[in-house]
Order: sequence, then structure tokens, then C-alpha cells
Amino acid sequence: MTAVNQERSFAAALRYVLRPALLVPVLAVAFAALVGLVLIAMIGVSVPKAVAAFIDGTFGSPFALAASLNRSSVFALVGFGFVLANRANLTNVGGEGQIAVGGIAATAVALYGHVSGFPLGLAFILPMLAAVIAGALWGGLAAVLKVNSGTNEVISTLLLSFIGVWLLYWSVQSPALLRKPMTSSATLPESLEIPDATQLPLLTGDYSFPVHIGLPLTLLLAIVVGVILSRTILGFRLRAVGLNPAAAKRAGVSYARTVIFALSTAGALGGLAGALMLLGEQYTLKDGFSSGYGFDGLVAGLLARGSILGVIAASLLFGFMRSGGINMEMVAAVPTALVVVIQGLIVITLAGANLFIEKWERR
Amino acid sequence: MTLELFAVFLGSSIRLATPLLLAGIGEMVSERAGVLNMSIEGMMLMSAFAAAVGAWGTGDPLIGLLIGIVSVVPVALLQACLSNTLRANQIVSGIGINILVLGATTLAYREIFGARSRAEIPGLAKVKPPLLGDIPTFGPAVFEQVWLLYAGVALIIITALTLRYTSIGLAIHAAGAEPKAADKSGLSVTRIRYGCVVFAGFMASLAGAFLSIGDIHTFTEGMTRGAGYLAIASVIFGKWRIGGTTIACLLFGTATALQFQLPALGVVLPNALLIMLPYLLALLAVSGLVGRQFAPATLGEPYRR
Repeated sequence: MTAVNQERSFAAALRYVLRPALLVPVLAVAFAALVGLVLIAMIGVSVPKAVAAFIDGTFGSPFALAASLNRSSVFALVGFGFVLANRANLTNVGGEGQIAVGGIAATAVALYGHVSGFPLGLAFILPMLAAVIAGALWGGLAAVLKVNSGTNEVISTLLLSFIGVWLLYWSVQSPALLRKPMTSSATLPESLEIPDATQLPLLTGDYSFPVHIGLPLTLLLAIVVGVILSRTILGFRLRAVGLNPAAAKRAGVSYARTVIFALSTAGALGGLAGALMLLGEQYTLKDGFSSGYGFDGLVAGLLARGSILGVIAASLLFGFMRSGGINMEMVAAVPTALVVVIQGLIVITLAGANLFIEKWERR
Repeated sequence: MTLELFAVFLGSSIRLATPLLLAGIGEMVSERAGVLNMSIEGMMLMSAFAAAVGAWGTGDPLIGLLIGIVSVVPVALLQACLSNTLRANQIVSGIGINILVLGATTLAYREIFGARSRAEIPGLAKVKPPLLGDIPTFGPAVFEQVWLLYAGVALIIITALTLRYTSIGLAIHAAGAEPKAADKSGLSVTRIRYGCVVFAGFMASLAGAFLSIGDIHTFTEGMTRGAGYLAIASVIFGKWRIGGTTIACLLFGTATALQFQLPALGVVLPNALLIMLPYLLALLAVSGLVGRQFAPATLGEPYRR
């Protein structure tokens, strides 16, 4: 290989790395982070102190690192679902509700399904499966409404999110459902703690670095979803319906089946995300369980512009940002809402830059 | 149910429907022109916050209301610019704005109010209209409402008349149904759509201010709790018509009022079910009864010449 060739391939690599689809998100994140720093200065907190607290909360300890990774898995699952449904031109905004129903189902099976004694990890696999099914039904409901009466899935998944979140509130408030037995009036409105056997095993077995098996599972699913989208007939159908439903129908692709597959798979992934949160970290179901993670996952999916690797990158970013934000609030008294501001700015900047990216790619 | 209780129920249904109605009519106008304005939620929250801060800071709820209206202008212009000039995905940009406003208002609220959270804020005055207000039982319970409610009703009537009988109404309809034809006939589709989004922002700002300084006289973080999405659902349920949207909003308002009314009647239902009811109704409403044929033809699609 000659020097000229090497130079050319280097230039090509540089152009690949600096292409707008990659560069613009990076710039958007940088811009939003800069605004974040200005806001920190404006509320009168020392910026170096806040940044130190932020970094401490993300990588500062094995525990912080593990919490960030676990959270990133949850975002990524919701994000994969978003990307998958979006391939069929469907926008799943229901992650929050899908997480909630997943959490409810996982808790119910873990606590009252008598699964503790099951061998081969079935003790935690069955609650996970229950969550997957619950999420799939929740997402599938929006699909059925879309197919049968043309209901816009954006509005139906959003409304289903609110309903799912209140359903969770209901199930931890009512002793007839999942609330732990009331021994006194001070009994908190939450479920019992799930049995040890139903909790997700930790990768290292060490509680100071509590990354659970959700992380490898998420990576595995990343490959599965990636392969489905790019290598299988299912992925082809999704794309066909997304690009032109009428033409897809002519070509023999069932619109109804494809939409139901897309949204229920997205829902299943959301339900699984809820199971990871409950079985892997929280262990008891409480009001506010879903904690906005469904929206973070949605944003990760949006940012990724259809790429699974993009979802992973965005999920890691948000997972670490959340951890850093929480620590910033505790140590430097910067409200975590700052992280929400940064996220909103990223989404808006990217939405606005889309025209530019598309124009560039069409050149 | 006694007559008194029924009157109170009716009054609170109307009161709780008002923010949905104001926001819903604004959203309807924006959608008629072809812009799916998902940021209604954020616009309401922005105004609820700004109006509360304004009323609290100056002690004058009227100034608060004005500050609330003004605060939404940049939000509406941002939404209009994203969905028209930059031709961004309208759902994505709307959700982005909602996230940004939720973060920004929560942050600012913590900074401004801090320990004084849930401070009582001076609110808009109630009026007792002549004649209607004098009806025994019903007068005080139903018709004695914050003046903004009556101003809102007047605005909605003006909007209805404008849409139906004026060239502006026709232009809005054309921009949503046949933007190419509208463009060819010399109308600026972009300008019409900008105008409609700003109008939606104005209505949403009244809705938000109604929540914080009209109804409960305080601000809480994320206090809109999906009211903006209910407003969008009411437009779909109302088949993009003023009458239908109004009925949908009254229905959701009544469902919300049941939350407070049923326990008073001794009917014991899970609290969560009652809170969920408006969303459940909205879901049923958008899923059962409507077909696509009623939506403006280019809803959600940015126009390019």
C-alpha cells in the first residue's frame, strides 16, 4: 500500500467519522452540556464543584459505575423497541407505561407466583417473562387500536402510559393487589420485597459492584434486534410498511400483522426494562417506579436515528447523566431537573438539525 | 345526590374542563392548519409557572396572567420554527419542548421558591354574572367562576365564528387540507401555520395560567400532568370541530370532577381508578368513534414549496 492510498483511506475514515449523522448528535450533546454549565453558574453553584460531583456520581466508585450501567440497560431496551417500531414508521411513546405494567407483572409473579423454589434460574426468568408479556399486551393494545380504527399510536401509547402509571399506583395502594400487608397505619404504600431467589444474579456476585445480568441480556438483545432489522424478512416487512403501506400491502405484506408485531415487540422490550428495574435494582414496587425512564429510553431511540449502536451510545450517555445528576443534587445542591433541561435541549436541537443532516446526506 | 351537591359537581366539572377546552381549541386551530402541536403540554406548564411567579412576585394576578401569556411566545415560536421552517418531525420536536419546559420550570421553581414551596399565590378574581348568578343554588355553585373562564368562552365563540365565516378561517382550512393550492392562490402557508401555532400557544398560555392562578392558586412541579395530551385527544374525539372538541373537554372535565365528587357521595372507588378515568375515557374516545377521514389532510406534514 502506498502512502497516497493510506492518506486517502485516512481521509475517507475522517469523513466517515465527521459525517453529519454522527457529528450533529455529538455537537447537540456538547451544546446542551454547555448550556447546562451556564445554568449551574447562574444558580450560583461553583461549576468545578458541580462537575466534580457529576463525575463522582458516574465513574467515581464501582457502585456508581454499576448503577449507571444498569440504568443504561433499561434505557437501551426501551430505545431498541422505539427503533424497531419506528422502522415501520410507528412512534412508540409508551415506554413509561410499558415499564410500569412490566414492573407490576414481575412483582406479582415474583411475590405470589411461588417461583422461588424453581431451578435453573426460572425463579427470576418467569417474572421476567410475565413482564415481557404484560408489556407486549400493553404495546399490542395500541397496535390493535391503530389497525382497527386508525387511532394514532402516538396519542394512544401516551394515554396508555398515564393509565399504566396510575395502574401501578393503584396496585401498590391497594392491599387487595400488591401492597404489603398493613401492620400499622405507617405501613408504606409499596409491595413486599421480592424473595432473594427472584432477584437478578449479579455479574460479579459482589454487592459493591452490582451490575446484574440485565447488561449482557441487553447486549444480546441488541444483536437480536439488529439482526431482525437488517437481515430478516421481519425487518424487511417493517421497512416496507414504514416506507409505503399501500405498496407493502400489494406485495403481500400484512399491514395489520406488521403493526402488531412492531408495537408489541416494542412493548415487550419496555416490559422487560421494567422487570430489570424491579428484579435487578429496586426489589420492591413503589409509586413513581418508572421514574421517567420510559421517556429517557424514548429520547435515546430518537437520538439514535434508527441505529442500534446509536441507541447504546445514547443510553450510556443518559444512564451516566442521570447518575451524575443525582450526585450533583446530593453533593452540590444542583437540582436533577438540570439533566432534564439538557435532555430536552438535545432532542430539540436534533429535531431542528434533521433537515440539515438529510440535505447533507442527499448531496 | 342532593341538588346542592349536583350544582357543585356541575360547577367543578366546568371549572376542570376549562383548561382542557382553552388548550384544545388552540390545538384544533393549529391542527386545522396542518401542524400537530404536541408541545401544548409544555406551553401550558410554562404559562402555569410564569403566571404563578408573576402573580406571586408582583402580588397582582393580572400581571401574572400577562407574564404567563408572554412566556409562551418564545415556546410557540420555537415550535413554529421547528415544524415549519426547519421541517422537523412535529412529534419529536413537541416532545422535546415538553421535556425542556418540564426541566426548566422544575429547576426555576426550586431556585425561586425553594423552601417556600406550595406558597399561596394571589389568584384571579371570581365574577358572578348578572341573572345567571342569581339563580338559587346553581348561581353561586355553577356560574360564579373565575373571569378568565368567561373570557375563554368568548374567545372560543370568536374563534368559531372566525373559522366559519371569515377568509382567515378559509385560509387556515386550506393550509391544512390543500397547502399546494393555498400556496398557488397566493397565501403563505408558512405564515398561516406560524400564526396558528402562536395562536395555539396563546390559548395554551391561558389554559396554563388558569390552572395555577385561576383554579388552585399555587404551582406544583409538572402540574399539567398530561392535560395537554388530553386536549389533543379531545381534538381527535371532536373530529377537528369546535362543538365536538368542547363536548370532549366537558366529558374529561366531568370525569376529573368525579374524583372529588364520588367520595363526597360516599361511593368508595379506588382513588387511582378515578384519577385514571379521564385518560381511560380519552383512550376510548380516540379509539372507538373516529376514523381518519376527519383529520386535516396534511396533519403533521411540514410543507415545502
